[in-house]
Amino acid sequence: MDSVRATSNGDCNGAAPTVLSNGPIPIQKVIIDTDPGIDDAMAILMAFQTPDVDILGLTTVFGNVTTKQATNNALLLCEIAGRPDVPVAEGSPEPLKGGLPRIADFVHGTNGFGNLSLPPPKRNKIEKNASEFMVEMASKYPGEVSILALGPLTNLALAVKRDSSFAKNVKRVVILGGAFFASGNVNPAAEANIHGDPEAADIVFTSGANIDVVGLNITTQVQFTDADLSELRQCSGKYTKFVGDICQFYRDWHVKSDGVCGIFLHDPVSFALLVRPDFFTFKTGVVRVETQGICAGHTLMDHGLKRWNTSNPWTGYSPVRVAWTVDLDGILSFIKGLLMKL
Amino acid sequence: MVQSIYPLFQSLSDLTGFPVKSLCDFGVEGHIMSHLSFVPIILLSCELHFYVLQLEVAGRTYIPVVEGSHITITKGTKLRIASFVHGSDGLGNQNFPPPRSKKIDQSAADFLIEKANKYPGEVTVVALGPLTNIAMAMQLDPEFSQKIGQVILLGGAFAVNGNVNPAAEANIYGDPDAADIVFTSGADILAVGINVTHQVVLTDIDRVKLSKSNGRFSQYLDQILDVYFTYHHKAYNIKGVYLHDPTCIIAAINPSLITFTEGVVRVQTAGIMRGLTLFYNKQKRFAEVTEWSDKPSVKVAVTVDAPAVISLLMERLMNF
Repeated sequence: MDSVRATSNGDCNGAAPTVLSNGPIPIQKVIIDTDPGIDDAMAILMAFQTPDVDILGLTTVFGNVTTKQATNNALLLCEIAGRPDVPVAEGSPEPLKGGLPRIADFVHGTNGFGNLSLPPPKRNKIEKNASEFMVEMASKYPGEVSILALGPLTNLALAVKRDSSFAKNVKRVVILGGAFFASGNVNPAAEANIHGDPEAADIVFTSGANIDVVGLNITTQVQFTDADLSELRQCSGKYTKFVGDICQFYRDWHVKSDGVCGIFLHDPVSFALLVRPDFFTFKTGVVRVETQGICAGHTLMDHGLKRWNTSNPWTGYSPVRVAWTVDLDGILSFIKGLLMKL
Repeated sequence: MVQSIYPLFQSLSDLTGFPVKSLCDFGVEGHIMSHLSFVPIILLSCELHFYVLQLEVAGRTYIPVVEGSHITITKGTKLRIASFVHGSDGLGNQNFPPPRSKKIDQSAADFLIEKANKYPGEVTVVALGPLTNIAMAMQLDPEFSQKIGQVILLGGAFAVNGNVNPAAEANIYGDPDAADIVFTSGADILAVGINVTHQVVLTDIDRVKLSKSNGRFSQYLDQILDVYFTYHHKAYNIKGVYLHDPTCIIAAINPSLITFTEGVVRVQTAGIMRGLTLFYNKQKRFAEVTEWSDKPSVKVAVTVDAPAVISLLMERLMNF
């Protein structure tokens, strides 16, 4: 069964594959850089449910939780998935400019999993740090490794700085971050992942790597309602109990923050962008990140509609692809299908 | 090159029936509007005498012209003069003779304050350039924000790219600190940004129609518009020009042709996005206090009836 294309079509566990005419997507090597995190956990478990995705390793970063907690949680997720073979490399504990990172424990609970009580992981992280691991894998498999970046971009920026050929060696970087011509979620200007390390984000966006980015303008459109969540809980999928349990805390925060009885599927949408870009349409343009002032963390794309009469801070950089629209029905049934899978 | 703001003042009530008094400033497009509407005009751009000249062309020499600040609110040099858009004289390089009348001997900020005090709540300021003068009035007189009627300003790029660079619109970029003071002042503000004015295009075909008409200013306008059309052809690859300032004036004289939303606007004053206008609709509740929290709301234009604006403009210019 071509599990990447599995869709639930509304029935529990019965995920009937939707066969598309353009043939199977080849197996891709993926590193997931993550700060799990409730919706991170969903995306990572979706990746484990996708045989076409070869997870080379998880790398960790601060954001939803501290980097240390993120490492703990990444190890736990590998255990839950029965994948002790997947290495976990710990990343930077702080943004490039230093200082204590902002931790969104009010969104994800102090342990990142909605304060659900869990035993400590049995396994340890590897010795290499996150950026070393990324650089090593990218040079070992040049043109083959995709990075799914679900947190602040500190580790990726460090990899870009560590190895000048890294940006060219990676096949594709899929970034969850920013808000393009839409409101942020930390403040009106900034989305949490970019706000977490604006300097790093600007380094990555201007690195010349092959980048696809999906921001709040898309991810806030893709929601599980309370009805979707109870449908999920009633299924006997491999991870439905765990996901249902950790989602409660996350859901309650959405009610307070956005008046939404449900959850935004930020990270699952990003995983979909990795394996099913056909759900999206894109705008292509240079993206810069503000690092100063009240709008620090703001992402801004040049649409390319005007020929500027002088050079400006967007001039001369490689364009990236910014997700612009999404097939809501398609992506929701794709996400449900993988989360409900046995 | 000096950039100055020349506000004018006149009671509109007699002319329009609206209980409105108005102040504004302008360049080439504003000039179009001086003939379009009966609205008193003000010019913003370069050499003073050309603005006074505008009034002579329009036969409105009784309208006072007041020179504004040559520097930004933070005492910086106004660096960017858009001569490549409007010509080095702001009027399409037409070598007009100097005007006969003179500006009045008062600063723009003092003039604004004086008129707001004289007619509290009745004066509408139409701001078609950087917001230095208005911010100065607000700093000089803490009650100015409450005493002024409405400030209708041409500025900002809301959820679209700017026109100076991808982040910033020209008027806000001209003095971002002043703009942030004005947006957060608590005054009754309507911002008309390029997200709206880019919808209002005077086409090449309209221009030909205009030049062939018997309107009193047809030939004059055709001359001064040449630089502006050439710039738009090149920069935007469109067969026409954006009517930024006319749209803003229309918002003042016929508000029914636009719709707006309300929320807090802050201006980025540092970094690569200096001049960015960022709007918060007050819907989402953030976990932390933000730079937008507890700031007064302003109105931001979101739609415009572009065909109505164009036909009003064409009708006035061709038959006036």
